[in-house]
Amino acid sequence: MTSVTTQRGEHLQQLISSDASVAGGLLDREDLLEMLDRAVRRRVTVISAPPGSGKTSLLRAWADRSTDLGRVVFVSVDRDQQDAQRFWEAVLDAVRGPARSIGPEPQSAAVAAVDGDQLVDTVRSALAEHVEPVVLIIDDLHELRSADALTQLEQLLATLPSSARVVLSSRRDPAIRLHQLRLVDEVAGIRASDLRFTEDETRELLASSGVGLSDAGAAALHQRTEGWAAGLRLAVISLSGHPDPERFVAEFSGTDRAIGDYLMAEMLQRQPSDVQRMLLRTSLVDRMNGELAGVLAGRPGAEQMLLELEEANAFVMSLDPQRTWFRYHHLLADFLRLELRRTLADELPDLHRRAARWFAEHGDVVEAVRHTLAAGDRPAAARLVADHSFRWVLDGQAGTIRDVLQAFPEGASADHPDLALAHAAAELNRGRLEEAAAQLELAESHVQSAPPARRRRLAVAVASLRLALARRSGQFGEVIEQVKLLDASVRDASSEPIAMSSELRGVALLNLGIVETWSGRLADAQRHLSEGAALAQTIGRPYLEVACRAHQGFPSKLVSVATARERARQAVALAERYGLEDRPIVTPAFGAVGGMAIWMGEFDEGERWLRRAWEVASAHVDPAAAVLLHVATGMLHAGRGQRRSALDEFEAAAQAQSLLTGAHALAPRITGWLAATQARLGMPDEARATLEGFAAGSDPRGAGGNARAVILMAEGDSAAALEVLRDVRDTTQGVPGFTLVEAHLLAGIAHLDLGDRSAAAAAAEAALAAAEPDRLIFPFAMAEAADLLDALPHHETAHGALLADIVDLLRDGSAPSTDRERLSQPEELSPSELRVLRFLPTNLTRPEIARELYVSINTVNTHVRNIYSKLGARDRSSAVQHARELRLLATGRS
Amino acid sequence: MSNDHRIPASPAHQGGRQDDRVSTPPGLYTIRIKGRLGATGLSAFPSMESEVKGSETVLTGLLEDRSALFGVVAQIEALGLELLELRQVRAR
Repeated sequence: MTSVTTQRGEHLQQLISSDASVAGGLLDREDLLEMLDRAVRRRVTVISAPPGSGKTSLLRAWADRSTDLGRVVFVSVDRDQQDAQRFWEAVLDAVRGPARSIGPEPQSAAVAAVDGDQLVDTVRSALAEHVEPVVLIIDDLHELRSADALTQLEQLLATLPSSARVVLSSRRDPAIRLHQLRLVDEVAGIRASDLRFTEDETRELLASSGVGLSDAGAAALHQRTEGWAAGLRLAVISLSGHPDPERFVAEFSGTDRAIGDYLMAEMLQRQPSDVQRMLLRTSLVDRMNGELAGVLAGRPGAEQMLLELEEANAFVMSLDPQRTWFRYHHLLADFLRLELRRTLADELPDLHRRAARWFAEHGDVVEAVRHTLAAGDRPAAARLVADHSFRWVLDGQAGTIRDVLQAFPEGASADHPDLALAHAAAELNRGRLEEAAAQLELAESHVQSAPPARRRRLAVAVASLRLALARRSGQFGEVIEQVKLLDASVRDASSEPIAMSSELRGVALLNLGIVETWSGRLADAQRHLSEGAALAQTIGRPYLEVACRAHQGFPSKLVSVATARERARQAVALAERYGLEDRPIVTPAFGAVGGMAIWMGEFDEGERWLRRAWEVASAHVDPAAAVLLHVATGMLHAGRGQRRSALDEFEAAAQAQSLLTGAHALAPRITGWLAATQARLGMPDEARATLEGFAAGSDPRGAGGNARAVILMAEGDSAAALEVLRDVRDTTQGVPGFTLVEAHLLAGIAHLDLGDRSAAAAAAEAALAAAEPDRLIFPFAMAEAADLLDALPHHETAHGALLADIVDLLRDGSAPSTDRERLSQPEELSPSELRVLRFLPTNLTRPEIARELYVSINTVNTHVRNIYSKLGARDRSSAVQHARELRLLATGRS
Repeated sequence: MSNDHRIPASPAHQGGRQDDRVSTPPGLYTIRIKGRLGATGLSAFPSMESEVKGSETVLTGLLEDRSALFGVVAQIEALGLELLELRQVRAR
């Protein structure tokens, strides 16, 4: 899977031309532009022609010109792109963002590990969202070497929003099946023969470049180059200022040399020797600025040369409007690299080392590693990786770690324990905890043998990863233990630079705070996370700061629901400010905002936030955060009276909780609600079993008591239920507010069952009183308290406004009406969701469906959730029924 | 990159993958390219002998497997050369 080999030349075949820039002097090829205008009336246009044919030039000229077609979005596939996720992220960025320049990207900040399917869905929605039609141009598609990405692209094309158009440009016919679209005449093609210059265009090009050539000369040139755009442009460069253009053409026509080979050699030879020197040595890198070019050429003046070459349109193009970064046309770059290797092979290792040093000094460690490897110094490259691993972890740069590891040949890590740290971080990001632990083990054993100067740095990285690993595995006790040890060691190492201690301290505070959050020690969590966030801000670590803040949106004895919600919202805003809002680490903040909205009875708002939470939570989100999301989603369903779906979610929450070694703060609540939901669905035996299974640390006065009451009431024994509830209701200390509200409501319903309307009214009033401070509306919906509230004369309550809101919600927000509304106008299901939908009529369980589709169970859960919500279904059977009604199960698309 | 999220490849792609597993035996190949190549162009094919025949360059060489073969073809494409013929002379 490595994209770069040690010998620069070996991967020349992977270099591809994306044609020339549209700098001045290029021809406006009106006929071709019109051809493209006609082509994009169809949904998909495929431009397929060899390098140097003028594909990119045409597309850029067309994109710059066309305004009446709506928005044109331009994406160039990165060289040798093997990563489907990266590819779709680039597409999504382009579709979402304003028209972006093709300039050098800052070392790509890492990316949330959302899977490709989800990204494709997001791209499709983003395309559909635009009011104006969007033309998505994907250039250099031949560089896309991921079978997954191509399959996903095929799916996208098959289900393109009706207003969207896609133009694919490639050196070869892309391996994408388009016959369905062809059958309905929705595919246009532009090929090499269409792109060829005509003789007239050749004459125009010569004239516009100020080359004086006879008609016969122009005809000969056209014939010799066969109208090949790059050939003509190379010829023009050599012809400009040539003392005898006719002779040049005659010589060119007379030789049987290959066109490009001959013209590029000619062009290089005609350059002054210092320009030749610079061109050859700088061809080593894909992109350069004046400084880097100077370092490689070993002489000053490189920037001026690059600017002049660009102005002369000599296959050098600037990548940014300020013209500080440049690259060579791929054809020329390939030629120069061959020539460099052929004539200056001895200098190569030294040139690579110089490039590596420059990139390392300028913070581009990935390029530095690549060039160090190319210089043949694998141990040094591995050391570079090890020394930067901690920073990448600190900044959440999962993508960088992935990239840098890919630069090494496969199997290299065994020989280089220095790579183990990065591997551990990568595995951790992918949720492969055992593999991460094994790599950490390896890294740790290596730390001892490292020279003292590096030992501490490596030890710090190992320690921070150990913490993260323990936290993700839910080993709450272990985290606290580790932090204690670390605390001692950080204090001892007074000689170390403070920055490193601060960073490790930040990581420790974060992990400690997260663990305390999930284990319900919210006051400690609050203190540690605030300190961690403040520290992160001071030392300029936004990812760390956001991660700390994202875990602070939970209510406690000291923090109201409204305050918690506001904090979570601020955490999201902070993440957005830093552009980190799509990282899995922000999941708890989204979940908290959504959850708090649901507590307050704002179900639609809650649903919106939960959707974002599930989008951001990768398939490998921490189980502890998954618990939160499942509980909140279950609440949403329960609040809407969708008991069956609520049950699914509470079960999923219990399942996620079982992955943790420590007990989640939400565990008693999950058990209580799971049992209560089972009881309400007429499964009292299951409900009792659920409560019994939760022996450890059970709280009979809290959630468990309420659940037992629900079971008794379901069995018709309301009197016994009241007995149980009395314990909860009489307790003034240690019972969470929402449990109290719930207990009052259940008691009220029990009284109503027993015909005691005044006791029922009193209980309802008590519930309102307990709910008022935090506006805890959700328990009223979950307890299905509509009848009970009817029993409370509205003039008798001191909480009239709250009561009115709740009654409105129970009446209008009830599930059936929204369900019908949704069914009439169902939101379109994504292809991934459709794939999952096909399995719902079968007997396969969710894990079995996941195996069938080669996706994780979490992905299936997400899709099922979306299917239910889009179809307005409460459970699997109603989803199947609605899908049948909408004929979604009969389309036969794979 | 996430292997655990691989969606099943379409039959067309699976075909390609399976073919890769059936190894092509190493063999002697000749490749005809339009035009004569200069020293720089020829240096792109270090594993092959070159010969000029009329206005064509003929590359001949033992290519170890399919990867080696497609490597040469990709190189021809990248340099903007025109491939006229590709032939296996004999299997080894």
